[in-house]
Amino acid sequence: MGTKNKKIAIIVSILLIAGSLGYLAFGNFGENIVYFVTPSEVKAFTAEAYSKKVRVGGMVVKGSLKTQPEPVGLTFELTDGANTIPVAFQGIPPDLFKEGQGAVVEGQWRDGQTFHSTMIMAKHSEDYMPMELKRAGVELPKKDFMKTLSQ
Amino acid sequence: MTGLYTRWALILGVTLLLAILTFQHYQQHLATLPMGTLLSSPPSSQPVRIQGMVKSGTLQGEVEQGQATFEFVDGPASLVVEYEGPPLENIRELKTLVLIGRWDSQNQVFKAQETALINNFGFVAAAYLVSVLGLGWMVFAMSQRVMVLFKEIKESKLYEPEADSLGYKE
Amino acid sequence: MINRIIRQIQRYKGWFGGGAALCIFLGLYTGLLASPPDYYQGELVRIMYVHVPLAHTSTLAYSVLFGGSIWYLWKRDPLVDNMCQASASICALFTALALITGSIWAKPTWNTWWTWDPRLVSFTVLLLILGGYLMLRRLVDDPVRGGRYAAILAIVGGIDLPIIKFSVEWWRTLHQPMSFSTRGVSISEDILIPLTLMSIGCWLLFAYMVMVRTQILYLTELLHAKKGRLLSQTHFSQTTP
Repeated sequence: MGTKNKKIAIIVSILLIAGSLGYLAFGNFGENIVYFVTPSEVKAFTAEAYSKKVRVGGMVVKGSLKTQPEPVGLTFELTDGANTIPVAFQGIPPDLFKEGQGAVVEGQWRDGQTFHSTMIMAKHSEDYMPMELKRAGVELPKKDFMKTLSQ
Repeated sequence: MTGLYTRWALILGVTLLLAILTFQHYQQHLATLPMGTLLSSPPSSQPVRIQGMVKSGTLQGEVEQGQATFEFVDGPASLVVEYEGPPLENIRELKTLVLIGRWDSQNQVFKAQETALINNFGFVAAAYLVSVLGLGWMVFAMSQRVMVLFKEIKESKLYEPEADSLGYKE
Repeated sequence: MINRIIRQIQRYKGWFGGGAALCIFLGLYTGLLASPPDYYQGELVRIMYVHVPLAHTSTLAYSVLFGGSIWYLWKRDPLVDNMCQASASICALFTALALITGSIWAKPTWNTWWTWDPRLVSFTVLLLILGGYLMLRRLVDDPVRGGRYAAILAIVGGIDLPIIKFSVEWWRTLHQPMSFSTRGVSISEDILIPLTLMSIGCWLLFAYMVMVRTQILYLTELLHAKKGRLLSQTHFSQTTP
């Protein structure tokens, strides 16, 4: 490798690192990072935000899940404790998707009434135990789910 | 230096043994029978494991009390399930899971006594293979490099490497 | 002082390697065969026994690199510099493996291979920093100058460590929060055993790998020096009558 090429390569590698560090310090990260919005924030959307594709995180309300056979799909409610929004999804949800657990849905708050989701991601909590313990009613300490949403 | 290769043969042997044991464990306790095979095979009193999806709109019964009936679909095959057992922690419509029970060919119903989550063993095996092979290969390459370096230094015959474990001069 | 400690420990590196092999084999056995599936994830929880140890060993490796870089800038000890370079390349391997196993875990649990979650992004940034560090070392011709630049880079990149650690507590994430925290331990005993074994195994393995890699770096330098000396001798015998 010539000296000139080497210099260019060094500059590129320094830029790469400076860029990634800068991203950490000032970019999408830090104070402004929002991986998903909450149902309360969705409800506060104005009309121009209706067509935007967003991620919404919340807890699937127990007893709200209804499936349709034709075309295959489901509707459920997503809550952050303060507000609840209805969600509609076409297709088969991931296996870990469950009532009373967290989920992050991608889609649009299209008409200001229902959240039309194109993708469901299941959020699992940080407790791990075998089925026997779960059936025996053991509860391991974990972060209050609603708190993980309101950060 | 035969020591290096003996050591690695041992490590390889233990790893292979673990892989074989895991495969046996998978076949005995985790593998599922395809639903079509179950329906076409002669009746047996042995409990079997089958995998399928709970059909939308068919789940009925007291799930919390451990009683439910539903339609279970696996590709083109499907059957009716009567479940009676421990409370169902992980069941809902449109979910793929594993049932353990017997096929009652007279009443054309699958009597399930226990459920399990689908084993996803391909993902588990992939994660283990990537980590074990990645780390093992790196450590082996490094040990081999040390051996080669020692040999080269010895062959360049100007002075012997120091007796210090690292080769550093005091 | 640190130089002498490192050399003392190096003498026993075989014990680290042996201990690592023992812990990892026991961890693999309990993790794959002798531990129960999780109530919610089933067999997939077994991926945790490789993913989590790999991930926190990579943060441990970066901590070694961070501390070593400070020490090197202060004392200019070439052995510590070699150790830093060794930690960085091994840290890169652990980080990459943690990302790959995490991705394999994410697909069946979250339903995606990758998402722009704060934990995932900050961890990928760690890999980028390491890539830059190793490239810089390779490209700067003068090894002493290269070592100095790289050390500064490693120290600056250290801000990523607390970001990785607390990303799941500070921000909204898809990644689950910490299982060990002031809230207590949220992993049951059966699942904790293989996790602990694999963690100890990975730490020992990292220590062993750093020692071997440091040795390689030193031996390479030694070989170069010797070859240089041989060359200058031939040169000498040719030029003098």
